[in-house]
Amino acid sequence: MDVLLDDDEKFIQEAVRHYFDAECDTDRVRLIEDGDELLDTEMWQQLANLGWLGLALPATQGGSEAPFTQLCLLFEEAGRALAPVPLHPHSVASLTLAEAVTAGEGGAIAERLLSEATSGESLLTWAWNERLPGTGADAVAMTAVPDGNGWLLNGTKRFVEAFDAADHCLVAVRTDPSVGTEAGMSLLLVDTGTMGVTGTAQLAMGGDTQSEVAFDNVHVDGEALIGKVDEGWSLAKPMLERAVVLNCSLLVGAAHRAAERAFEYAKERVAFGHPIGSFQAIQHLCADMITWVDGAELLTREAAWHIAQGMEASLPVAAAKAFTNERCQMVIREANQIHGGYAQVKEFDQQLWYRRAAAWSMRLGTSLEHRKTVAKALKLG
Amino acid sequence: MDFDFTPENEAFRAEIRDFLDAHVSDDIRHEIKQSAAGHGLGALTKELIDKIGDRGWIGMSWPREYGGRDADLIDQYIFEEELSRARVPLNLGNFIEQAPAIMFAGTEGQKKYFLPRIVKGEVTFALGYSEPSGGTDLGSLKTRAVEDEDGFLINGQKVFTTRAEQSSHIYLMARTDPDAPKHKGISIFLVPMDTPGITVRPLWTLPGGRTNEVFFQDVRVPKDTLLGERNKGWYIGASALNLGRAGARRYCTYISPFEDLLRFLREDEIGRELAKDPVVQDKVAQLYCEARVAKLFTMRSLSMVRRGENPPYQISSEKVWGPEFQVRATEAASQIMGDYHQLWDEDQAPSGGSFPRQYVSAMVSTFGHGSTQVMRTAIARRGLELPRE
Repeated sequence: MDVLLDDDEKFIQEAVRHYFDAECDTDRVRLIEDGDELLDTEMWQQLANLGWLGLALPATQGGSEAPFTQLCLLFEEAGRALAPVPLHPHSVASLTLAEAVTAGEGGAIAERLLSEATSGESLLTWAWNERLPGTGADAVAMTAVPDGNGWLLNGTKRFVEAFDAADHCLVAVRTDPSVGTEAGMSLLLVDTGTMGVTGTAQLAMGGDTQSEVAFDNVHVDGEALIGKVDEGWSLAKPMLERAVVLNCSLLVGAAHRAAERAFEYAKERVAFGHPIGSFQAIQHLCADMITWVDGAELLTREAAWHIAQGMEASLPVAAAKAFTNERCQMVIREANQIHGGYAQVKEFDQQLWYRRAAAWSMRLGTSLEHRKTVAKALKLG
Repeated sequence: MDFDFTPENEAFRAEIRDFLDAHVSDDIRHEIKQSAAGHGLGALTKELIDKIGDRGWIGMSWPREYGGRDADLIDQYIFEEELSRARVPLNLGNFIEQAPAIMFAGTEGQKKYFLPRIVKGEVTFALGYSEPSGGTDLGSLKTRAVEDEDGFLINGQKVFTTRAEQSSHIYLMARTDPDAPKHKGISIFLVPMDTPGITVRPLWTLPGGRTNEVFFQDVRVPKDTLLGERNKGWYIGASALNLGRAGARRYCTYISPFEDLLRFLREDEIGRELAKDPVVQDKVAQLYCEARVAKLFTMRSLSMVRRGENPPYQISSEKVWGPEFQVRATEAASQIMGDYHQLWDEDQAPSGGSFPRQYVSAMVSTFGHGSTQVMRTAIARRGLELPRE
């Protein structure tokens, strides 16, 4: 037992932080947020060249096969820097392709795309949510019925990240609506340019671009199937758990950086003849901020570690997300409070962290939803 | 990062569990409860402590030459966790709390005398820090120790001196130089409680427990009772106090009302009914996450101490989060259980009456051993380097 970072973990953390410190200032974040580009393509290619898009992917597809915990550390850094690149959807989709390929259930397309995802030639995303968002199997109602040599898809997905930039999308569908919620689900890899697929941008407070994606009689070939037909939940459950933890890592990184910025500001900003950081009222806010974000970080890393060990992870994952959603927002609200009036000013950077962390805390399951999972795991009621 | 224990750790845990299963009876639990209520250490409890001491589990992480067994701090942690799980609130950690300071600052003679006796449970310390004029502001203490040819003459008063009536010694902070700046004129003494001139008066406390006032009237002690250098007591004490706040026993105390609540909701007939309410489930799940954070903070402090680091703020964070969680958990338990939560008769009440006791004792955690406000200031100044003015 040693919950601190080991040498390999410190190495990746420092390397990624060094890169973002050098390359990702807030001008670059604002350029993507305010401009027409969907992502910083130069940064994306640099991340690929550094081997970080394939950090936790199989060596056979050009990846580094690092443990999931190291990918989470990379995400903490991306969250700190508010990196304007779609690391989250790309990693969620590619890790699940990798899981299927490793199990021999991927097919030729998945293998090719995985190599391209590692090199940056392909950008992947995933589509899960529909009408009522959630991380349970019951969120998926969209159907795929047998159609010639493949499937015919009908339905609408929402909140799909980076859809317009992605060339393939991993879509969760019902292939057998007659059985339960977890059974009868499948995962299909869909080319985003396929006829009948229409994305409509959904503007969100985090400044990223999400899409509502309509599938209207979309035909895909049989080789689009990832995993086994009707048994998609066995891939979707770990996919969702990884997605939740990666989201927590972004949140923790952003909250940590926002807290540090507030501490620095408190040391410099003078009121009543003293730096405001010398006032106990401010000091005690700061003490709570570091305590809360550290707690979120430890819970998130513990959940990541469970996943990396191949252990049952639903309880630690749900606990991490339930806590991180709320506490990281509290941390950034206190950071706003320390910045006072400037927190609301667009040209001042504080709001960049505030809006993103708020938006991230609304994705991939609310605290209410994850606490239900915790209560179930505790065998209450 | 590694959040799990090794098979060797788990084997040790099993050994402790087997021992506690075999040697702890309800009679002993009852006796320990009585002892906390100021009735002194009972015969059965003393016997149990002897057995634990014989197995080398008190101070097990110390060097062998001082009576320890060079065990990993993790084993110490596991031992404390298992004592808590077996509901044996022995607070053996209190036995060894002063040992790091003795190892750090003591003379060879003091180490050889005290440390082996501490691990046997023969020497126990009450903590002589707080005074009527200041507890949190420890630097302003007034108890005087005046040096003369034979030793020191001590006069003054201590308060909230828990276990003074059952300890062999007091770990006493006293002012040796009244003219020096307040933190630079303080020394630490290891004084036998049976020294003439010491009087103990009980202060009965809310959880049905006892703490004390201790009066020193012309108490004469030899020079070898001084720990470390004269006037350096503040620095010896501060370092030991920081490290003394770490350890499983504290987090176990913080989360024990939550664990009692969980047990009630799963095992009690009425508890199982209450647990069906989704509102209750949501609250309990929230508490679970927060309890987990308390445990992880302890694991983090332990990881840092094992790496030879003296955590700059992390132990203070643990000491803010844990006690305030304990209070939130008791408040939640009381609102979930309602009428049943008030009952404290051992035979009638759920969980042997632990709930109302937890309710009134949780507050002690938020000011005992350094208030959460002082801890927050320490986090901000020492950890985050925020300015003093």
